[in-house]
This record gives sequence, structure tokens and C-alpha cells, in this order.
Amino acid sequence: MATDRARPRGEAEVPRSPSRPGRVRIARKGSPAGRACLYLLLFLGAFVAVMPFLFMASTSLKTIAETITRVSPIPFHPDFWPASPQWVNYIFAWTRARFGLYFRNSVLTAALTVAGVLFTSSLAAYAFAKIRFFGSKVLFAVLLATLIIPESVYLVPNFITITRLGWYDRLAGLTVPFMASAFYIFLLRQFFAQLPTELLESSRIDGAGHVRSFLSIMLPLSHAPLFTVAFLAFIGSWNSLQWPLVATSSPRWRPITVGLTTFITDAGPENQLRMAGAMIAVLPVLLLYFVAQKQFTEAIARSGIKG
Amino acid sequence: MSTPSRTVRVRSSGRAVHDTLTAYLFILPSLAVIGVFGIFPLFFTLYVSLFKWRPGGKVAFLGLGNYAEIFGKDALPLLAVLASIAGFVLAGLLIRRRRSRAGGLLLAAGLIVLAASLVALAFFLPALVAHGDKEIFDALRVTVWYSIGTVPLQLAAGMLLAVALSRRMRGQQAFRVVYLLPYISPAVASAAVFELLFSLRPDSFANQLLLLFGGKPLQWLQEPKGIIPLIFGAVPRAAGVGVVPSYWLQWAQGPSLALMSIIFYSLWVFIGYYALIYLNGLSAIPRQLYEAAEVDGAGRIRRFFSITVPLLSPTTYFLTLLGVIGTFKAFTHIYVLRHPAASGTVDPLSVSIFFTFFRKARLGYASAMSILLFAIVVGLAILQQRTLEKGVSYGD
Repeated sequence: MATDRARPRGEAEVPRSPSRPGRVRIARKGSPAGRACLYLLLFLGAFVAVMPFLFMASTSLKTIAETITRVSPIPFHPDFWPASPQWVNYIFAWTRARFGLYFRNSVLTAALTVAGVLFTSSLAAYAFAKIRFFGSKVLFAVLLATLIIPESVYLVPNFITITRLGWYDRLAGLTVPFMASAFYIFLLRQFFAQLPTELLESSRIDGAGHVRSFLSIMLPLSHAPLFTVAFLAFIGSWNSLQWPLVATSSPRWRPITVGLTTFITDAGPENQLRMAGAMIAVLPVLLLYFVAQKQFTEAIARSGIKG
Repeated sequence: MSTPSRTVRVRSSGRAVHDTLTAYLFILPSLAVIGVFGIFPLFFTLYVSLFKWRPGGKVAFLGLGNYAEIFGKDALPLLAVLASIAGFVLAGLLIRRRRSRAGGLLLAAGLIVLAASLVALAFFLPALVAHGDKEIFDALRVTVWYSIGTVPLQLAAGMLLAVALSRRMRGQQAFRVVYLLPYISPAVASAAVFELLFSLRPDSFANQLLLLFGGKPLQWLQEPKGIIPLIFGAVPRAAGVGVVPSYWLQWAQGPSLALMSIIFYSLWVFIGYYALIYLNGLSAIPRQLYEAAEVDGAGRIRRFFSITVPLLSPTTYFLTLLGVIGTFKAFTHIYVLRHPAASGTVDPLSVSIFFTFFRKARLGYASAMSILLFAIVVGLAILQQRTLEKGVSYGD
């Protein structure tokens, strides 16, 4: 490990400032100029992160002529924005481009998937964390190994499977294959394993079975990780494109991601409608994100993986 | 009730059987879904890869025919390439043992094996590509460029950003929220924006920016030319030279500008995410280490390289694995950003598999490609586990 220390110098000028406990803090306050530089850089980064969304919003409110004639790369320039916002674009996108239907499909698909994931993975995580049983280690390792498999590998076999099951172009074909994942089991198991076993055992002495201790002790204590899993499963379902492209053939259950890509290739130059569609796809995610941003940033930090 | 918990652990065998049954009942739903849609498909795809398989039940047994189409009918180049890969592994093993008693000898042997493998690869890979499916080997080259273009930059920028964000300051949480936006939002939507930002129109964002610095408009997402000839003028054309040099000249062109544009998008999406994961790792580093180093007179840069970087190595290892394997999974944004004009220079293997199945309806061939992809990913995972994990410090 790297502790090759330099010789202590006499002029160690460190007046120790009291630090608030429990907060990440590496370096102490630098010079005002250094701080200003830091802020400038961070703001520049934030600007880069946000700019495409501003572009999306502004273009979605332009007229088709403005998307060609009234353009500027800088959000502070008036030409970046429309002369007067065309809210009618959203009505067009919602009805004529059928984004209303796609939106509903995406909501349904995501809701069903999240419900399925919560059900399957919390049960399995409980078993792996709190019950000793034959084969648990091997089984868990096999499940985890499935995580490195790229989705492309699943395309052909799962397409054949859902076709045989009669789930092609049906809601079941879009949801059931994603109703369990080793990753969510893993996340929940990590949390469940931390909860003291004594808690469960005392209740079991009282005569409660595993089902009771799962429902009345484990779940009520696990709001945060369950939320993490629900959020990640929602994002995964809402943003997925490859499988829905393969598993749907009609607009009936087509999710908004597929609607958006087919619209992108069909619509030609009507960029304002494409961007309105993109806004409709982004907004629910952003709304959720801003409402519970604290939990979300922590959830992502905890997760470490997404497809 | 305060019975000591020990008593519960002493169970009759009846209790153990009961527990096992309960556990399997709890796992059953997950196991059913993952079994049918996550484990069975691996074997099924292997089976399908042995057939000419069209939708609607038109099926004919081919044996290894699909694989022969990928690698060419001539087995020699394939065997030679496989042998040189084995050679790399062997060389790595030998060189790692250099500290042992016969160290000098082993090191020399390792270097010889390494050189021989390199030469073999340089000669036989072009032959393999010449006999095999050009599209697939193009896709593999794209995948390599894409990894090189994204992973190291994401790691470096993510780590620096994490260090900057870890300072105590106003608006810390707000910055985190903003930096995670690109990662959270649907790639279909944000990639659609990038398609406009990097379009070939002279008034597109990328071209306007170029204009500010006195450049000329470029084709961006529709430019199949490599960035090396675009920056330095022409690389000598491949006409008339043999198979081997002309193959390596293709590499010398670098990634296409179209692929570079896609790499920019990737960086935009992932740097914030990497920073957040690094931030999580930073919070585990004890503050006392920094204070001690500061007392000892280590400057900020010294502290960064001697404390932060080594102690973050588990996170770096994890993110490298995630990033490289992610390259082989990349799909959505490339599907949106790929343009016919740049075809063949932007599709990694995952996208190529998708179109073999989706457009050409060649299920058997797509399955054989999937098996190849799977083998590569597993190989990489093992390799990374063996090599990188050695250099990882877990902080003790």
C-alpha cells in the first residue's frame, strides 16, 4: 500500500479545522482562487450535462421552419429558443404520432415488471440471506454468473421461446422475461444479510414461520433497498429498446422507446416532433428523479451496475 | 422473549429439511424466470447455432457450417490465431513468475513467447479475416476502438470529477443530481438529440463549435473515414500491397469520425455515473490518511497519486470490468446514432448480431455470432480477474 511518506517538515502549517462527522471530505478549503476555479469547472461540467436537454426542450417548441433557420449552439443566444413556444407540437406528438398510446404501454410494462421484480427478488434474497439450505452457495454463484451475459445473446433463443409460448407482440412477452434478475437478488441479499439474524430468530421461537418473519419483519425494515430495486427496475424497463424491438410487431404494446426510434426513422425532417416525443419519453424519468433525487443518487451509487 | 439465539441453530434434521424446502419455495419464482429466460437460452442458442434457422419453422441442420462462415473454411489461420492468444496467456504467466529463483530464464522465455505470439498474430489475423466474414471482423475492430475510446477516459475523468465533488461545498448534492442526468434518462431520447447536435449540417452544434475555433464543417455521424487521415491527411492507400500490410493499414486509420461522435455520446452519459461510483469509494478512505500525509508535507498532487488512486483501485477494477463488458453490450445509442453512410464503421458485434437476426432473419447465424460474443466476454472477464485483480489494493 502506498504510504511512502515524505520526511515531516518543520513548517507543517496545519491548523486543524473541526470537521463535521459523517461527511465525505477529502481536502480542506483551498484558496479562494482555487475554489473559484473548482466551481467554474463544475459549472462547466454541469452545463455540458444539461445542454442537450435544453436543446431537446427548445427544439420541441419550435416551428418546423425555425428548426432549420433559427438555430444557435449557445443557450444564452435568443436563436437557441423559439420565437414563440409551439405547445401544439406536443399535441401532435401525443395524438398523431401516437405517443399517448406508447406512453401508456411503457407505463404498464414498467409497472408490471417492477411488481414482478419486487416479488421474486425479495423472496429469493431472503432465502439466500437468512435460510441455510442445501446448494445455496452453488445456486447463488450460478445466478450471479448470468450477469455478464450480453443481452444480444438472448435475442434469438428468447424470441423463439416467446413465439412458442404465444407471447409474441403481447404484454407478457415484454414483461415476464424481466421479472427476475440475479442483480436485484444480489442487491437485496446484501442488505438483508446485514440485518441481525437474532431479530428473526426470536420471532421464530415465538412460532412464526419464514413467511411471517419475511412479511412482518424483513420487508418493513427494507424500504430503502426495495426502493432502490424498484427504481432501477423501472429505469431498466422504461429505457429498454432492443428486446421490445424484437418482441413487438404492432403499435398495440409498443413502448415509447420503440415508438421514438421508428418515428425517428420515419418522420424525416420533422425534428420538432421528434424532440417533443423525446421530451415525452424523458419527462416521467426526470420527474421521478427530481422528486426523490437523494434516494436516487444513493441508489445508483449503491447499485454499481446497469445493463 | 430473551432466549439465546444459539438454541435455534441446533436443529433437528426435520427442521433442516423443512428449511430447505421453504428456501426453494422462496427461490422458485426467480429460478423459474431466470432459468427459462436467462440460463436455458445459453444452451438453446448453442443448439440453434448448428442450424440454418429461419422464422416460421424452416430449419436445416448445418453442423458447424455457421462457424465455418464466420471464420472461413480454412482452419489454419483460426488455429494459428488461437495459438497466439494462448501464447499471450503463457507469456503472461511466465513473466509474472520472474521474481522466483529461475527468474531470469523465465523472463527471457516469456519475452520470446510474447514476441512469437505477436508475430504469429500479425501474420495470421489478416489471413483469418480474409477468409472469414468481413462484417463480423469489422464489428470486432469497432468494438476494440470503442473500448479504447471510452473506458480509460471515463475512468480518469470520473475519478477527477469525484475528487472535485467530494469537497465540502455549497450545492454538492445539486451537482451530483445534474451529473447523473445523462445516465438516468432514456438513451433513445438523448441519443436523438446527439443525432441533431452532431449532424453534418453546417449549423449543427458540433460544426458551429468547430467554426468558433476556425475549423471547417465535418460530416460527424455520417463520416466513415478514420480520424487519423482526417487529422493528418491521407494514410497510404491499401491498393496493391499484400493482405497483411493492407489489413494493418486499416487499423492505422483509427476509429471513424462517426464512431468518435458515438464515443463522445458515451462519455457524456457515463462520466457522471463513474464519478458517483468513485465518490462512493472515496467515502470509504479514512480521512486520517490524508491528514497524516499532509503533516508529512505531501502536496495535493502527491496525496492524490499516493493515497486516492491506489485506495480507489477496487472501484477502478470494478468499473473497468463494467466498462469493457459494457462495450460488448452497447446497443441502444448506437442503434439510434448509426447512419447508413457510416455503416461498417460504427456497429459493434452486439449491433451486428441484432441486424443479422432482425433484418436478415438468419437466426442460426446470429446464434453462432452470439456464441462468439459470449466466448469473448467470458474470456475477458477471466483475463481481467487474473490480471487486474493482482494490482488491486483493498486498503490493508
